[in-house]
Amino acid sequence: MSIKGGGFERKSKTSSEIPSSSLADIAFLLLIFFMVTTVFQSDRDRPITWPEAEAAQKIDEKQKNILNIWMERSGTVYMNDQPYQMEQVSAVVAPLYSGSDRALVISIRGDRDVPYRFMDQLQKELVAAGVVRVVFAAELEQSMQRERR
Amino acid sequence: MAVLNQKKQKVSDEIPTSSMADIAFLLLIFFLVTTTFPKDKGLAIVLPEQGEEAQVSQRNILHLIVQPTGIVDVKRGEATQIQQMRPQEIEGLWRQEVTANPNLIAAVKTHPDAAYRYMVDVLDALHAANAERISLQILE
Repeated sequence: MSIKGGGFERKSKTSSEIPSSSLADIAFLLLIFFMVTTVFQSDRDRPITWPEAEAAQKIDEKQKNILNIWMERSGTVYMNDQPYQMEQVSAVVAPLYSGSDRALVISIRGDRDVPYRFMDQLQKELVAAGVVRVVFAAELEQSMQRERR
Repeated sequence: MAVLNQKKQKVSDEIPTSSMADIAFLLLIFFLVTTTFPKDKGLAIVLPEQGEEAQVSQRNILHLIVQPTGIVDVKRGEATQIQQMRPQEIEGLWRQEVTANPNLIAAVKTHPDAAYRYMVDVLDALHAANAERISLQILE
């Protein structure tokens, strides 16, 4: 029986350790990737002053099923960053509503000082579109604030 | 000469990078865990279906008329007498009224020129009092 290599086994030069020097780069790459791709809100904030409500509750619905309708003090309506005429609202909302299997929740984000006549028009438009679930978006009011008023 | 006796320095002159990966992953996991997406808050209501009109006895309606000043005129059903209130007082009123009549419906009628926030104040008070039957209208 001959000894493999004639008994002179060569020392392996390949390192037996897993190369870990690039691990940091990979981790930082992931970190930066997530930081860059995180999108917080699909539509940018409009300049409105929120109304305050003590009984405001979280909207229990997936983000994709919530449609934000902004209403500025002048009564201008914005949906998905686009201004709309009041009369167009039901025509725009109706296909979105049926497309979501009637799960769509409308979040009305109105300025606190908008005259109520615009809100009433908006509600009538939403009723015409067949929408049932509506939320009047408001900031949570602390009871301390309320007592000061 | 002392040069010959100088000991070789054993401290490495490189910055240790082996723990860098741990630090980066730690940061990654920290941000993944602590990221909270802001959830919207608001007062939920259910709009009536189109063409759905229910006839309600005047006896079961509590009219809450929101004036442009923010003062609320409270009118009970058929009664002609009007009581003026601040929105914050509606909560107590509703609790009182609903124990007397469990079928009561709150009809919030807002003046066209009244600011939206006064309506929200009244709605807030009704929500705080656990009112479920609320109707939102415009004052004609």
